[in-house]
Amino acid sequence: MSVPGAPTAKEKKYDRQLRLWGAGGQEALETAHILLINATAAGSETLKNLVLPGIGRFTIIDHAVVTDEDLGTNFFLDDSSIGLSRAQKTCELLCELNPEVQGHFINDTIENILRSNPEKLKDFTTVVATGDIPTATLLSLDAILYPLGIPLFVVKCVGFTMSCRLALSEHPIVETHPASTVDLRLFNPFPELSTLVDEKAASMDDKEKMTTHEHDHLPYVLILLQALNEWKSTHGNQPPSSYPQKNEFKSLLRSKMWNADEENFEEAIAAVLPHFNPPSIPSETRAIFQDEKCANLTKESTKFWIIARAIKEFSEKNGGLLPLPGALPDMKAESKDYIRLQNIYKTKARADLAVVFGIVRGLLTGLGRDGGEVEESEVETFCKHAGYVKLIRGRSLNEEYEKSPRAQVISNDLSDSTSLIHYYLGLRAYEAFISDENNTQRIAPGAEDSTVDADTEKLNKHVTELLDKLSITHSPELLEGTEKAIGEIVRAGGGELHNIASLTGGVAAQEIIKIITRQYIPMDNTVLFDGISSRTFVYKL
Amino acid sequence: MATTTVLTTESPDRWKYLNNILTRRGPYSDETFEPGDEPKRFLADLKILVIGAGGLGCEILKNLALSGFRDIHVIDMDTIDISNLNRQFLFREADVGKSKAEVAAAFVMKRVRGVKITPFNCAIQDKDDEYYKQFKIVVCGLDSVEARRWINATLVNLVGEETLIPLIDGGTEGFKGQARVILPTISCCYECTLDMLTPRVAVPLCTLASIPRQPAHCIEWASVIQWPKEKGDLKIDMDDPEHVTWLYTKALARAKEFNIPGVTYAMTQGVIKNIIPAIASTNAIVAASCCNEALKIATTASPYLDNYMMYTGDESVYTFTFQHDKKEDCPVCGNLPQALTVDPESKLEQLMEKLQERPETTLKKPSLRTSSKSLYLQAPEQLEERTRPNLEKKLKELMEEGDELSISDPGMPFNLRFIISFSS
Ligand SMILES: [Zn+2]
Repeated sequence: MSVPGAPTAKEKKYDRQLRLWGAGGQEALETAHILLINATAAGSETLKNLVLPGIGRFTIIDHAVVTDEDLGTNFFLDDSSIGLSRAQKTCELLCELNPEVQGHFINDTIENILRSNPEKLKDFTTVVATGDIPTATLLSLDAILYPLGIPLFVVKCVGFTMSCRLALSEHPIVETHPASTVDLRLFNPFPELSTLVDEKAASMDDKEKMTTHEHDHLPYVLILLQALNEWKSTHGNQPPSSYPQKNEFKSLLRSKMWNADEENFEEAIAAVLPHFNPPSIPSETRAIFQDEKCANLTKESTKFWIIARAIKEFSEKNGGLLPLPGALPDMKAESKDYIRLQNIYKTKARADLAVVFGIVRGLLTGLGRDGGEVEESEVETFCKHAGYVKLIRGRSLNEEYEKSPRAQVISNDLSDSTSLIHYYLGLRAYEAFISDENNTQRIAPGAEDSTVDADTEKLNKHVTELLDKLSITHSPELLEGTEKAIGEIVRAGGGELHNIASLTGGVAAQEIIKIITRQYIPMDNTVLFDGISSRTFVYKL
Repeated sequence: MATTTVLTTESPDRWKYLNNILTRRGPYSDETFEPGDEPKRFLADLKILVIGAGGLGCEILKNLALSGFRDIHVIDMDTIDISNLNRQFLFREADVGKSKAEVAAAFVMKRVRGVKITPFNCAIQDKDDEYYKQFKIVVCGLDSVEARRWINATLVNLVGEETLIPLIDGGTEGFKGQARVILPTISCCYECTLDMLTPRVAVPLCTLASIPRQPAHCIEWASVIQWPKEKGDLKIDMDDPEHVTWLYTKALARAKEFNIPGVTYAMTQGVIKNIIPAIASTNAIVAASCCNEALKIATTASPYLDNYMMYTGDESVYTFTFQHDKKEDCPVCGNLPQALTVDPESKLEQLMEKLQERPETTLKKPSLRTSSKSLYLQAPEQLEERTRPNLEKKLKELMEEGDELSISDPGMPFNLRFIISFSS
């Protein structure tokens, strides 16, 4: 059976995900290389969710040997793994999931790698740090990766609590997957559209010139534009703007119906509120246009900034309009009329694209770069999403911890005892506990029943120290929630619960996929989950 | 008991971290929680049922095994398909065509020592009340609304003096999903929330037949109109590549005739099979949340979800956790009939068509009765024949305002009840 267009074996296997991120996203995944530091349950689950959709390669750095405790939380180990390298064993069992993925392991500590061969970190697309890693090590990793633009995930998973911190410098997203990119240009129709309105809809009130069938098959876009012409002629050439005016316009449309059941007119009436918007550039897009990187292109500027600049120039020359995305929703119409209308929008979109593409080439040659460096398809994707692009500027771990902590974000939520900020503070205290220079074995708080009380006290002290350092006023009442969070964290004794580890692995893998495919919008920058109340919250810290 | 023997042969360290939670009280633990050996033993002895061994089911089985559950049953009637392998991680290419329940159970038992998983390669409807009664918790990872309604209604019907089986239900679609806890008759049930499903919008037949505009219209034309015309009574098998190819070729030709761009093989499959995108990460999140609730309910170590968590992952990471209200007129767990306004001039046939548009009345073979007479019965044959003429009658000839209309369906273990009022 060889039908043109029939799916390949790979397309069949990945069918359910290709429907979300397409061939382009898949290709990005297949060329990525993920580093996992420590094969904890959460770390292994993260890799599982990346190996399954076909990430290119992964490497595990871990110095631990497999213990019985590991078998109680990590699915990618079995009885025969006990006493052997945890990096190697998890790597082997993860590789079984997908023969197309290459797994590597390094039986060493991340501290040793940072000392002996920090260059190695440049090999990776994304780094995921899990388990008990001291603050100093995390900050060293961040100091190397952040300037290189390599995303670092710091994942913590203790008992019912998890946090996932993403340190990502600059991340523009073009394919944000908005619900719709439709722009009908109702308030500023281009000439080809106006011509079609005149030809098809000018006599829509005239029963002599139009049959009932023609009338109830008029595409609603043409109905709206024709009615708008009429409205504007009696309203100083202005379209309806206020809510009462829009309602009045709907009544006008209703008065033009020849029968009570003309679906196309119903569609037109329903389209008034969603589509009657004066043309404007959305704030996210405007912020990108106003960005310093858009204003001052250099030889090093990325394609994103070059295309953004070209679109900015395009819109300046076109009365503030973005290039037309060209999409047309389905509507009641004769096939040929619909296709004709669709082609009018598409042709206009292509014409806009040609202009933008021309500007892009000009910008490139002006910078002394190769004019063919940017493909037309990349410009096309950008043009289609020009009103929906998004730029994430994250913050480094060093900024959060040392250079410019965001004390306000923490203090804002402190008085709410149900806020998840208390788990953030509890986990920071946990990190301080295992980073203590006297705790060389990195023994977790609550590791033994006998230490629970003393460790709880230590964690509470770490929190007050942190708050003092950040000049955040606190009181026992304000820290009620934090005290409870610490109670839960110490209860777990540094252990992962498999369910929470698995959920963490789902969240981390999802965010990694969004970043690698450059599709959809990643969180910025810390997500917390509390498994007791089943809630998440995202803070920008 | 066998299960306890297995437990004692394991190293005591294996469940150290789980035991920390079970032997220590947390700040949010319920007063009735008694930390120590009891919750451990309870967990090991408790029988739990998993429905579905697909994307969610694989995750659920792994999670329960690593949460200390020891006696697990799993039911799934499906066999493994190549397109499952991007997320159903207990299956390999060599398993394609085998029973999902059996392969999944065998894999988890091999990997996690001491857990017993009993697989059933059958439909949930094949099991009776006695079977379901033996479980303390049911976790459900299904993609079918019909099967969910069935198990939900079955568990509600089982509620008695000694039986109350919590149903934990998960569902995903692309980057979105939900996890919920249903305490039958106590908290809101699956049926109570059916109106949260988006009603399906059917393309009018005349669009398919004469004025197609979208690639999907051409594909539906091929399957709804052209297939029966050319193939007669032969049923379309969505998994038969020859059938899909036939539909694709027909749809492509029709699209060409009308100059409609965009018909692809993948889209053909998507439209006719109603394919929902599915990825490992969302399944992991939703299944983990469900099993976290199962662990909390089984051990009372921490409060459980009351009663709904919605998850969205396409734009940042977002959850909405809330208490969904129980519906007083829920046909399964409520006791009041719902209100239904009908046009007295319309025919019974039209009413049946209209019912298909609402998620709670989308049924395969509905039979309709009022308290005084049968309006239309799908079976047995002689009664179907006898009630068929009613389809052509106007509603005002068949019922009066205030009548109670009852709808039954072989796929549903309960009746839907409506009080009729006439629209003016
Ligand atoms: Zn209910």
